[in-house]
Amino acid sequence: MSVLPFPSFLDDIKEKGFKRALYEGVNEVVERATAGMNIQDIREALRGEAASRKPNPRLQPHADGFWLHMRPSYFHKSVTGIYPEFRLGWLSTYFVFFETITGIFLMIFYTPSPTYAYANMLNIMSNVPLGQFMRDLHRLGAEAMVLIVTLHMLRTFFTGSYKKPRQFTWFTGVVLLFCTMFLSFSGYLLPWDQLALWAVTIGASMIEAAPPEVVGTNLNLLLRGGPEIGANGLLRFYLLHVLAVPALLFIFTGVHYYKVVIHGHSLPPKEENIGEDTAKRVPLDKRVYFIPDIMTSEIMWIGVTTLILVILVTWFYHAPLENHADPQITPLGTTAPWYFLWIQGALKLGDKVLWGIIFPTVYLGFLALLPYLDTTPSRRWAHRRSIFTIILLLISATVVLSYMGLAEFGVINTADVDILHHMTMEPAHNHIGLLRPIPYNQLTPGMYTTRQFKAEPGDEIGMIGAFNAELEQPLGAPIRVGNATVRTPEEFIVNYMETQQHLHLPVGLNFVPLPSDAAELNRVMKKFYEEIEAAHHELRNGWGGLIITDDQNGLKRLDIFIFWHEVEMERGFPVLNANGESIPVLDENGNPVLRVSSHRMYIHQDSQYFNAPGA
Amino acid sequence: MLQRLLIEKMEHRIIVGILSFLGIMVLVGWIAINENGRMKAFQDQYLARSIERGAALFNTNCASCHGNDGRGLLGIAPALNSPYLFGHSFLADIDRRIDTLTRERDAAATTDERKAEIDALIADLNSERNSRIAQMQPAISAGYNPERPSRLANLGWSGTLNSYIYTTLVHGRPVSGLYWPQGMAAWSQTAGGPLRGDQLEDLTNYILNWDKGNNWTIDDLNAVVQHPINPVNPATIVMASVETVGTNVAEIEAELVSYTGDPVNGQALYNGAAFACMGCHMNAAVAPLTQNTYPNLLNGTRLSDPALAGYTADRYLIESIVAPNAYVVPGYPAGVMPQNFGDRLTYQDLADMLAYIKSYDDPGAQASASAG
Repeated sequence: MSVLPFPSFLDDIKEKGFKRALYEGVNEVVERATAGMNIQDIREALRGEAASRKPNPRLQPHADGFWLHMRPSYFHKSVTGIYPEFRLGWLSTYFVFFETITGIFLMIFYTPSPTYAYANMLNIMSNVPLGQFMRDLHRLGAEAMVLIVTLHMLRTFFTGSYKKPRQFTWFTGVVLLFCTMFLSFSGYLLPWDQLALWAVTIGASMIEAAPPEVVGTNLNLLLRGGPEIGANGLLRFYLLHVLAVPALLFIFTGVHYYKVVIHGHSLPPKEENIGEDTAKRVPLDKRVYFIPDIMTSEIMWIGVTTLILVILVTWFYHAPLENHADPQITPLGTTAPWYFLWIQGALKLGDKVLWGIIFPTVYLGFLALLPYLDTTPSRRWAHRRSIFTIILLLISATVVLSYMGLAEFGVINTADVDILHHMTMEPAHNHIGLLRPIPYNQLTPGMYTTRQFKAEPGDEIGMIGAFNAELEQPLGAPIRVGNATVRTPEEFIVNYMETQQHLHLPVGLNFVPLPSDAAELNRVMKKFYEEIEAAHHELRNGWGGLIITDDQNGLKRLDIFIFWHEVEMERGFPVLNANGESIPVLDENGNPVLRVSSHRMYIHQDSQYFNAPGA
Repeated sequence: MLQRLLIEKMEHRIIVGILSFLGIMVLVGWIAINENGRMKAFQDQYLARSIERGAALFNTNCASCHGNDGRGLLGIAPALNSPYLFGHSFLADIDRRIDTLTRERDAAATTDERKAEIDALIADLNSERNSRIAQMQPAISAGYNPERPSRLANLGWSGTLNSYIYTTLVHGRPVSGLYWPQGMAAWSQTAGGPLRGDQLEDLTNYILNWDKGNNWTIDDLNAVVQHPINPVNPATIVMASVETVGTNVAEIEAELVSYTGDPVNGQALYNGAAFACMGCHMNAAVAPLTQNTYPNLLNGTRLSDPALAGYTADRYLIESIVAPNAYVVPGYPAGVMPQNFGDRLTYQDLADMLAYIKSYDDPGAQASASAG
């Protein structure tokens, strides 16, 4: 008779005693939850012992459970090590989930609107506990994922694993690579900072080149939501980033993995005869069972990989956040994300349609169709010389094109623009203007010049005094500049600073030696001097000046300028005469044409700029 | 070796896995306990960089009207770098002490002896107060009222200073018939201007960074070039007694005979912050030009207007200054010029100013005045 009016756990207790009834109850729950393994089975598995009952309970979760039915119950011993897979496929999958989880966290604090997006970033950085941590992880994970998926593809190529019967697996893999790159790329835009806007503007403008014109224009409009990327474009990129492309990615991840399971992991080429595929026929002595070996290994790797990422974002990596997006200001040296640099490099070769659209399409198309084009049966390296040649050439071309995509390559600025940019640039792409990290207390108000470094040591004061006097010497003939007539180089510069930079210099120029206790300021001015000297052909008789003034409490104004005599230029380079000297441009009176170029910036005592790593 | 599980022993995998998860927890915990400091640091750093960007924006867009140093330009735009905008009162501490003493004196329990003592203290404080007001005289002449030292309070603005500045930037300022001949553009893109919300925030942060809290000095106040003029009742200002000219033109004319005008000082007054004549009379769209008009007066061009029948040049000039609405030059609106110069000018000031204006008649005198 039951204790209660219906059969219950209490009956078990009455019958077997509490301890035994509880143990059996828990045991049963565990066995159901694991779809086949009871406590004893789990204990044996974790101790590395053989299963003590038959049929083998460790196969049961694969047969009856949802989560493990998609994992093979055993692997071939030859594919469980570092070689041949380097865990790259597993890592790719890991990053899919990692990015989903960190991404959902960030979604909570994000609004896809140009009005709010950047403020949301500031909020995440300044008001959300662990906000920066999650953002760093998501960004780092995104970059790592592109790298890992690419390496995974390379590995698959080198071991010939794309060959029959795995052609379609390879094809879905290329789709996944494309999804990964687009996810990473579309994520770029979301913070709505300068980096975002310009990287994506470059990327999206390629789409515009798609022929015929009506297609390109409309594709571009569809993606950007207007002629310029604005509210519509941001919303579209956001939806692609969090909805459309992830959906595609998950579907293809499913197909890709399904194919991997039904064909088995391909063995190292040397273990099989040519044209044979024995991955699904694993001899008993070669089997490594998923439970317990692979499973514990994977859980361990989840821990180790996550720990590595956490260590990286704790000490070594922070996701960049530049200034608010500004369609009016194109930063010097804008580049696409690194994994699209090869396209940017190709674009420098010429035609936008050919190099921006046709070339990448053919490239990716060739990759996607590779297994259907290369149908030779052998996976041994020695038998694959022609395809190896093609792919290695392609890799080399990609590396070279990526290098050509860098801002440093093939984009010619005038020397003064380059030097001033180098001195003052906002932190971006891991670079920062040299003036910014100078400690605030070294920015003593005054006027300084690079001429100081031409002096014999100890004679700086004499040198600068002579230089001040030199600047007051009349020019060959007075020059008209706008409404003013200038008679000396000093007046020329003062007039320029007043009209162009709103800097009033009531007493004119009066250079003084750099404070000797301002080591950083001295170092940077020395560098400024060296850069001007290095460009002495273009910046003939060039010298630099730095004017530091107090602006507000805790805020200083820095005006940096370069003065030089204009020279004849051709295609961005100075023309040199037979003596290897540049040729000055003369005005109608036969005097050199004076040029000055300047940049102003402000430095607040709490700005905390720091040197870029390696600077 | 490469073709085996990297860590072959189950125990080792379990240990490595557990240590990894522990490591993650320790690191995340360590980050978490430092989050408050990090978030604060980010905020400070962001504010600092925002001020830097705001400074650049100010220099490009605002300095041409508000001055490079934010002290305003005469007749163009008011000072932002001013204790008035931040509501700093130079009299508040004295007034507080006087209040406290007055309450004590009025209390029933206070002895007569103590009352006398208090009266002496209050007299001292009042003289200190008057001396501070005397120091502020240049600002007071320019329209500043030390009794009502807060811009926001005078406007009856109920929001914060931040919102006041930001809102003004967003919508700009209309032309004010009485005070500001030139309006301020709406700067926000939402109001048809060129700047984005974040840039307006940068600008606001920069302007707010002029605040000196309790460290404002009277020198800062007197350095202000242009105050935002708001209805001032000069009667409320306790000033050292100075005899001003008033508005009776006939009397002034009679009295002025005994004064000799100094054109150099007159020019200083004419261009200076106190009266700021130059601020308007340099721009024909705002006010009649004064340059070289005195010969016109003498030649009768202006005086030939029937409305001015019987006027001498002197009389016309005096009336134009102390009672500007009595006759308004055709083509200009009435009521633009301040009506209170009569209450602010002494006879000597007026004589100097007339001497300066008359010096237009004599190119030699004009040149020497300029040289001075």
